[in-house]
Parts: sequence; structure tokens; C-alpha cells
Amino acid sequence: MTQPTTKDQRPTTDFSIIGKPTAMVDAAAKTTGVGKYTDDLSVPGMLVGKILHSPYPHARIRRIDTSRAEQLEGVVAVVVGKDAPNPYGILPVGHDEHALALDKVRYVGDNVACVVAISEAIAEKALELIDVDYEVLPAYFDPEESMKATSDLIHDNKPNNLEKDYHHIFGDPDRGFAEADHVAEARFIANEVTHAAMEPHSTLAAFEIDPHTGKPGRLTVWSSTQVPYYLQHKLSLVLEMPMAQIRVIKPLVGGGFGGKSEVIPLEIIAAVAARKAQAPVKITYTREEVFWAHRGRPRTIIDLKTGVKSDGRITAVKARVVQDGGAYCSYGVVTILYSGALLGALYDIPNIQYDGYRVLTNKPACGAMRGHGTVNVRFAFESQLDELAAKIAMDPAEIRCRNLLQPPCITVNGLRVQSYGLPECIEKTVERSRWDERKGKLPRGRGLGIACSHYVSGAANSIIRSDMPHSTVNIKIDRDGGVVVYTGASEIGQGSDTMTAQIAAEVLGCSLSRVRVIAADTDLTPIDIGSYSSRVTFMAGNATLRAANEVKKLIAAAAAKKMDCQPDDLVFREDAVVSRNGHVGTAAIGRPAEQSSAATVSGRVEGQILRGSLQQKRKDEGPKDQMSFEEAVVAAIDFHGALTGTGSYAPPPEARGGKHKGAGVGPSPAYSYSAQVAEVSVDEETGEVTVHKVWAAHDCGRALNPVSVEGQIIGSVWMGMGQALTEEMVWKDGMLMNPGLLEYRSPSSVESPEVEPIIVESIDPEGPFGAKECSEGSLAATIPAIANAIYDAVGIRLHESPFTPERVLAALRAKRNAKALNLTEGVDPTSPTRFREHGGSLWFKGKGPERHPLDPSRHEPAGGTD
Amino acid sequence: MSLPQFKLLRPRSVAEAIEHLVKHAGSVRVLAGGTDIIPSMRQKLFEPECVVDLRAISEIRGIKPQTDGSVEIGTLTTIRTIERSDFLREHYPVLSEAAGTVASPVLRNMGTIGGNICLDTRCLWYNQSLTWRKGCGFCIKKDGDLCHVAPGGTKCWAAFSGDTPPALLCLKAEIEIVGPNGTRRVPLADFYTGLGDNYRNLQANELLTRVFLPASSKDYRGVYRKLRVRGSIDYPLAGVAVVLKRSNGHVSDARIGITAVNPAPLLVGGAAELLVGKAVDEALAEAAGDLAAKISKPLTTSALTPEYRREMIRVFTKRAVLAAAQVNGN
Repeated sequence: MTQPTTKDQRPTTDFSIIGKPTAMVDAAAKTTGVGKYTDDLSVPGMLVGKILHSPYPHARIRRIDTSRAEQLEGVVAVVVGKDAPNPYGILPVGHDEHALALDKVRYVGDNVACVVAISEAIAEKALELIDVDYEVLPAYFDPEESMKATSDLIHDNKPNNLEKDYHHIFGDPDRGFAEADHVAEARFIANEVTHAAMEPHSTLAAFEIDPHTGKPGRLTVWSSTQVPYYLQHKLSLVLEMPMAQIRVIKPLVGGGFGGKSEVIPLEIIAAVAARKAQAPVKITYTREEVFWAHRGRPRTIIDLKTGVKSDGRITAVKARVVQDGGAYCSYGVVTILYSGALLGALYDIPNIQYDGYRVLTNKPACGAMRGHGTVNVRFAFESQLDELAAKIAMDPAEIRCRNLLQPPCITVNGLRVQSYGLPECIEKTVERSRWDERKGKLPRGRGLGIACSHYVSGAANSIIRSDMPHSTVNIKIDRDGGVVVYTGASEIGQGSDTMTAQIAAEVLGCSLSRVRVIAADTDLTPIDIGSYSSRVTFMAGNATLRAANEVKKLIAAAAAKKMDCQPDDLVFREDAVVSRNGHVGTAAIGRPAEQSSAATVSGRVEGQILRGSLQQKRKDEGPKDQMSFEEAVVAAIDFHGALTGTGSYAPPPEARGGKHKGAGVGPSPAYSYSAQVAEVSVDEETGEVTVHKVWAAHDCGRALNPVSVEGQIIGSVWMGMGQALTEEMVWKDGMLMNPGLLEYRSPSSVESPEVEPIIVESIDPEGPFGAKECSEGSLAATIPAIANAIYDAVGIRLHESPFTPERVLAALRAKRNAKALNLTEGVDPTSPTRFREHGGSLWFKGKGPERHPLDPSRHEPAGGTD
Repeated sequence: MSLPQFKLLRPRSVAEAIEHLVKHAGSVRVLAGGTDIIPSMRQKLFEPECVVDLRAISEIRGIKPQTDGSVEIGTLTTIRTIERSDFLREHYPVLSEAAGTVASPVLRNMGTIGGNICLDTRCLWYNQSLTWRKGCGFCIKKDGDLCHVAPGGTKCWAAFSGDTPPALLCLKAEIEIVGPNGTRRVPLADFYTGLGDNYRNLQANELLTRVFLPASSKDYRGVYRKLRVRGSIDYPLAGVAVVLKRSNGHVSDARIGITAVNPAPLLVGGAAELLVGKAVDEALAEAAGDLAAKISKPLTTSALTPEYRREMIRVFTKRAVLAAAQVNGN
């Protein structure tokens, strides 16, 4: 096991750039409003695209008549499904989407047609003039109902509306349960949540006219995406164009959280529309359309069984997970696999049984969202572990410490764990929250809860199986001493450009201001598979490290020649290259730095640009024991002809997991770890839960930029709190009842608790400078930490998220056997037995829209009141 | 979503505004703060030919204490001004408190007291985009003949969701309405019809210009309690204002106003009878809660279940009565 060292305790490191709080390189542009997001962009002749969405959850399209719309003045083109009939999807196994519906619509909001017009108002008016003749079909809203379907399937090639199911057994779960002294078993439900990124999706697509044919030639697409290269690939499939003819540029992105980590319908539609209209087309989603595009965290039913010995050791875990995946595959197959795979790698669990079902329903597709696949199962697991701790009268923090892994190790389900800061995370949160003296001793209505979580630092196997590196980075340095880093990694607000610049500057020993990052432009930057599954720091970071080392080697060779020493003797630091022989210790570094600052000002010495003569002068002086960074760069270019370097990263084979079916998802080169303590109070008369403080320790390997790591921890806790308490997508007969940020309630600043981020550094052996991910792993712990704190406060165990006031109050009443107040329509929230169609906090007894008479939802009305 | 096309008129006086309203009576909407009507127009809930923007009319802006001790508030006064007014804080604190809970600081800077009184009733089946409403087959309040929250019903149950009206009702506020035929002054309680669709007694050619709080209400102290999921931004899911008047150590008058659980803000009848002459205690407060819950009829027009919201009217009324007694030095 790697000995964890903490930021607080470790001696001052030898780094000059990393490990120091650093302002984001794009912070000024974003905060002053100068920065351009996709919707800020405009090109000459640009038109507006608007999409016609389906009003029915499931219907066959008999006929579309666009003629009336086309005749409206100001309308340039109307695009329909047959204009681009090729299927696509983010996963090779899930090519089930089309730019626009071909013959069927599968959810309210599905894409039917697109109008291209000279203004938004005209385009909207034209949408009203498109006549679509629908044959309404029975629709499926409840995954457990949907799994029984034999007719009117959502996709003809998916019997029982089952997208995919997996059945894994590791170890011997039956024996494990037999050995257990205590077994807990319960059903948990986590309702559906979405990313709610600040920036709605936007895409601008423009074709260049081919000079030889006069027809649309090369395509440029600006899009708010986390995955420009996947977008390029899918565009090429749908448009039947070679990838080389397609350039994807990612401008500033206002948050992704997974909602932009695959190809979103508007990106394809904008390109198809631009081709048909023969003009640039921009489409920006309304907030409602963002909710329909969705790809968020699916509602999940988790039937969980855990066995423990009296000493707290976990003997076996059995989980049956059903995910309400929506109408298309999206990342679904990966999500359902993550839900099972990441039962491992947090604790030492010898026996695991997992049955996962990804089910299709007539609702917007679910996909990847921060903490992809792990969050809902982690809520169930950590809640149940808390319950078991209470059963064996063990402290909840202690039971977690009894089940630690002993890395380096490979878990029973084939996950390789090397660095493991979980013990220290638990220790730190317990210490900072004064757990031992306060747990269980707070006044009634106030409580503390603990929970842990973890996440991958990138997937060890990419979606498209190949031997291609996952990240490649190029570095170019010219005679001006400016370092340009070309990376395909997508900055989406998480700080990837800053991380890249920091690593390059650290390796090259130059100041951060010398480094310019050119990112995510498929014509300019080498391929990187994108910003998702928290892979960028680990993978693009390693690629940057390697590219910078390659360049450094070239500089060192030339500088060593000049300085008459061995390249290995040179130290690159603070814009200088210093020979170790001449100057030992850090005190010597001051002088060249001072010198270089004079040279940094564009090489102007004594009022003249004298780079050539300066070199001449140096030559005359004979060998030196230091050079400025610029001098060394000039020497290297003179010597090698050019100064460029390339680095790439592919996860090592030993990190790529086992051989079983579905083993590709879950393995990662490294895992981050988190432990959290939440302090909450519960108003027993109203059921309202207030989170007062969260102590969140996160093992990120090494904090390259501590202020950024802290921001990510706080953001994760905050987002987790949203899912725990207020956020929930609510449905009535396929209608999303809250498709806006007024009714979909992300927490406001008022109820945001104090979050104390605690950075734990386990220094991963393979991460760049030991770094791992820091953006996702902390989210999953927040929900069960709050649930467990509620239990500590008022003694109720909540099995359904979010913990809205009426659910909490109903559970409190059920516990007290108080007046049977029907708060959630007869469903005891402490033991959700079935998956209710509408979610919970909005319980629509009312009349929904007219639906097909054979709708299963009509047969057995949810709650019995429809 | 684009705004529908309309002609924007910017009168500089109430008289000029009335002229516009009369002239375009067939299809005109009034804009005061714009915080509610702009999103509603984008959702195509209103597609008027003309919008009369009142913001240039200075005569109905501001808080004007009168010599008789009463106060006149121009309807264009922003919620923020109401919230921050020292005069109102001192003499009508329940109104300041209610104003402080409206939406968020940014919206309070724009929204007006007149707009809050006239606030369109809300329902999740109504406050949606045109595309969305098409999916549900529209509803009684707009473009359709169904009610989704009370199936089979012909009445609209959209909930009135303003925060200040329950406080104003408790303070026995009166409002001034100007129309082509002159000016009338009516009790605020008579302004609301109790229907979700045609929710207020105001003709298309009339304008709400002033709110009057009587001097006699200065002796009433109380609090406003609001149920919402988030501490900011949200409309009330239930709201209760309670004011008490005390003399000689016991309650000599009491008023309770509730909001967001009916198509109109309501004064709870029988509150005075229940509380007058008594010292407020837990049991009495609970009885007041039961009284308020009895007349609240929330339906699934917003988040949280109706049963829960009615229960919270009970709890919040109880708490508000206790708090109001505290404010009055019980």
C-alpha cells in the first residue's frame, strides 16, 4: 500500500508550478464576458434552426407534410428524417438514434423536423405549419412494466424493451451470506436527475463551398461538447463524409457534467440542416429542450442485500439494479455496468452478485452524469452499511475501516487498485467533524452521518475498442520562447487547460505565462477521446507530461552542449536552465531567474532587439553554467532545426480488467477516494432537512492545483446535495412536469451548506506527478452521508431519494404510528415497493394527456387514483 | 423561445395609459416589472398586439405616508423598495417580511407590488411552453377545455401564488383602480374572484394604481411564513400571514391570510372569534392552524403533494400565530 502523505504534513515539495493554488487560465475571459461560448458565435449568412418535437410519447409517423412551412416567407429549408437516415449512437452497440425521426417517435420531445429560417420567430411560426400524422402507440413509462412488454416494442430489435442485462457472480455470494452474522435486505429507489449545466447546448454548423464543384465541401462545427472527436466521428457516419472533411471546434463550454459527453441530437441536426439550407445554421436549445435531450442519471431501483460478520467484515453483497433508461441506448450499457463494477474497489468485498437491467421506456434517454453509474447504488450501499453498523452496535466510521482494501491489489471483480487514500479520508473527516465526541450526542433533530465513495480516473478501455492512445498532446516551442501545447482535451470549466499548462510549465521549468494551450479543435489538436469519466488529468495530463519531457530532452541536449556538461546535470526551473555542477542547491536559482525576466520582455536588451548578437556575445564568453529559458530554446532550435514534442497515453494492459462479459467497464488506471461527514437537522413537524455542514475528504493522488481540487469537491458535494434533497424529474404519462430551472430545483446559494474540503494525497504511481481525478468521486458520498445523518437525527431510514419534506414527514409519521396522513398517496416512503410512474414529490392524481387505450399505465394506474 | 411580436407603448401618465388600454382593449397586456409576463409571453400564454409598459409613469411609484397616519403605495413601487422601507418596517412589518420572501433579490429589484397583487395564477399544466401544452392537450385556463388537476371539472384551480397579498389582506388593504369611467377604491379582498382562470375583478381597460393601508392596521403586528423547497427563487407552495392586535395582555383582534393553496389569497374566517380575548398558547395556535387548513384546497398545481401542502398550512399557521404573539410581546 502506498503510504499516503497529506498536503498539510508533507515537506515543501520541489515543484515550482504544480501544487500551488493557480487561477484558471481562462478565468479572465469568463469573468469579464469577453469569452465566447457557442451561442455567442456568428458567421456571415448564418440562419437559425428550430426543432419540431413530438407531442406523443410513442407514435408511428404516417406522414409529414412540410409544404405549408416551406412556403412561409423567411423559411429557407425544412429538414426531416429522410434527409439523413443513417443511424448513430455514442456506443458502437447502441446505434439507435437518427438525426430526425424516420418512422417513429419514442418520447415527448423526440425530434421530428427542423426548420431553418432567417429568424427564431419565423422558425417557430413555421413549426406550427408542419403537419404530422401520428398513429399513437401504447407507451411504457415504468421500467418494470416495460420489461413485460411483448408488443409495440420501443425498438423492434430489443425484446421486452430490455436494452441490456448483465449477470455477474464473483466469489461465492451464497457462502458469503451463509457466513454472515447479520444480513440486511431492502429496496432503494433513486429518482431521476439531470445535469442542469448553466449553458444550454448550442451548435453552429457551416459548410465551405467546394471551389471545384460549387457544392458544400468541408464542414466546420462549433459545438458545446465534451467530446469533439466523437462528434466528428458520428457526423461522418450520418453525413457520409470522411472525417478529414469535418472540423469540430469546441468554444468555451458552460458546464457539462456528462450532458455534453455524447453526440446530442442538435449537433447532428444543425449539420444536416446546414447542408440542406446551403448556409450556416445555428441551433441553441431552450432549457426545455435541454431537459428533453437529457442524458442524465436514470431513475434506479436497487434491491440490495449485504451480509456482515459481527466484527463488521462484509461477507457478501447482492444487488439487483433496474435502470429506467429512456427511449434510446445512449451510454446505457456502460451505466448499468458501472453500477455493478463499482460495487468493488472501495471496500474489500469477497463475494459479489450483480444483476443489472437497463430498460427502455418512452422518456428522454438517460446517459452519463457526474459519478456515472455509481451514485445511486452507492446511496443504497452506504445506507445499508450504516443500518448494519447499527445492528452490530458498531460505529459507522469504524465499520468502514474494518473493510478496507490492502493495495496494491486486484479486487474480486478484476479492478486493480494501487493508490488508496480512503483510510486517511475517513480519519480526516472523523477528526475534523469531531465525530467521536459528537456522533449520537447532538440534540434531538440534529445528526451526523458518514459515507464513502470512489470513482475512476478515466476508463481503462475506451468506448471504441482499439489500440489507439486515449490522449495525445503536441508541444511546439519557437524562438520567442513561447510554449504552445496542443491538446484535444476539452476544457468544460473543470480546469483542463490550466492543468495542461501547469504540467507543461512544471516540466519545462518555465513560467505559466509562457504557455498557451490550444485545445479541442480537430484540425489543430491531436486526438483525445474527450472530457468524461474524469479521465483528463490522468490521461491528457500524462500525455502532456510525456510531450513536455520529450521537448525538455531536446533543449537539454543543446543546452548541455553550450554549457559543456551532461544533459542529466541540467535543472529546468523558473525560466532558467542551470547546471547542477556549477550551482548546487536552490539558492543558486535566483540569479538566472532575475536575468531571464529582463530577457522575457521580448528579448529586448539595452533598447535593441539583439537576439543574434546576444548569442554571439554569449559564444564569446565561453561555456556558462546557466542559461535563460529563451537562450536554451534558441540553442535547441539552432541545434535540432525545430522544437516539437509529442506524448501520448494509453492505460497499461494490467489495468484493463478481467475477462468476463462486461469486464471492460469499471477498470481504471487509478481510483479516487472520498469520505464525507454531513451534519443535518430535521424539522420534525414539517419534514424539512437542513444541511449545516459537510466535511469532505478526497484522495486526488496529488493536488496539481489545490484551489481547483477544492472547487471540484465543493461542487460535487453541492450537486450531491441537490440530488439528496430537492432535485427530481417528475413525470405524468410521459410528460416531464418540471422542464425548467424554476420547477426543477437545484439548490440555491441560500441553502448551500458550509463545505470543508480536505485534500488527501496518496501520490499514485502512474498519475502525472501522482495525480488522480477530483471532479466526480466526491458526489456519491454526499447522498448517503445526508441520509445517514437524517437517521442519526430523527431515527428514520429513507429508502427513496430525494428526501423531500413530504417523504421525510411521512416516514416520521409512519415511525410514530401517528395519524395516518396520506402524504404520498399510500406509498410508505420508508419502503418503496414499486417504481411509481410520476416520481414522488409531485404526485399527479390528475388527468394526464389522452394516451393510447392499451397503455400499460392505463391498466394499472399508479397509486390507484388515475 | 422568442417573444411574440407586439407593439410596445410607453405612456408617461396614468391617463395616457388608460387611453392606450381603451384603444387596444381587444388585445393588450400591461407590463410593470415584467418578471412574470415576459416568460409567459415566451411560452405563448399571452400574445397581445400591444404591451403597455408602465415603467415611465412616476405618479404611481413610491411609498407616501399620509397625514391621517395611513399610507399610500404606488403600484409601480418595487418589491425591494417595500422590503427596505423603514416606514413600512416600523408600521407594517408583516408586509416588509412578506416582500422579503418574494422570489430572489434580482427579481425583487424588478418586480412591483402591483404586479405581485395582479400575479397570474399558476399551475404546472399551464406555465409551460406552447409545445409542452400541446402534448397535454391544453387546459381550461388556456386554449383548452380540460382540467388536468381536477379531472372532469369545469373550474380552473390554478393557484394564486403571490407572497404579499396575504399580508395586505391582513392589513385590510384597499386598492385604487382607474378606468375610462373614473376611479374606484375597493377592498383588496374583493379584487379576487376565487376562480383560477378569471382570477381578478379587473377590466381590460382598467389599471391598478395605488394600494392603501389604513392607519388602524398599524396596531397589528405579525409575521409571514412561507413554504418553499429552496430558500430563494421559489414561489410559495403555501404561505401564511398572521397579525394580532393586543390590549391588556390578551388578543383583541386577529387576522390570518393564506396564499398559494387556492385560486385566490384568502382571509381565514373565524380567526378573530377564535383568538380574541385569549392568551395565545400551543393549543390555541393549533386550533388556528386547523381553521386555516380547513379552507385551503391545494391541488397538484405545483411541487409537493396537496396533502402535504394543506398540512403545512396547519403547521405554518400554528407557528405564525405563536410567532405573532411573540412579536406582540405575549
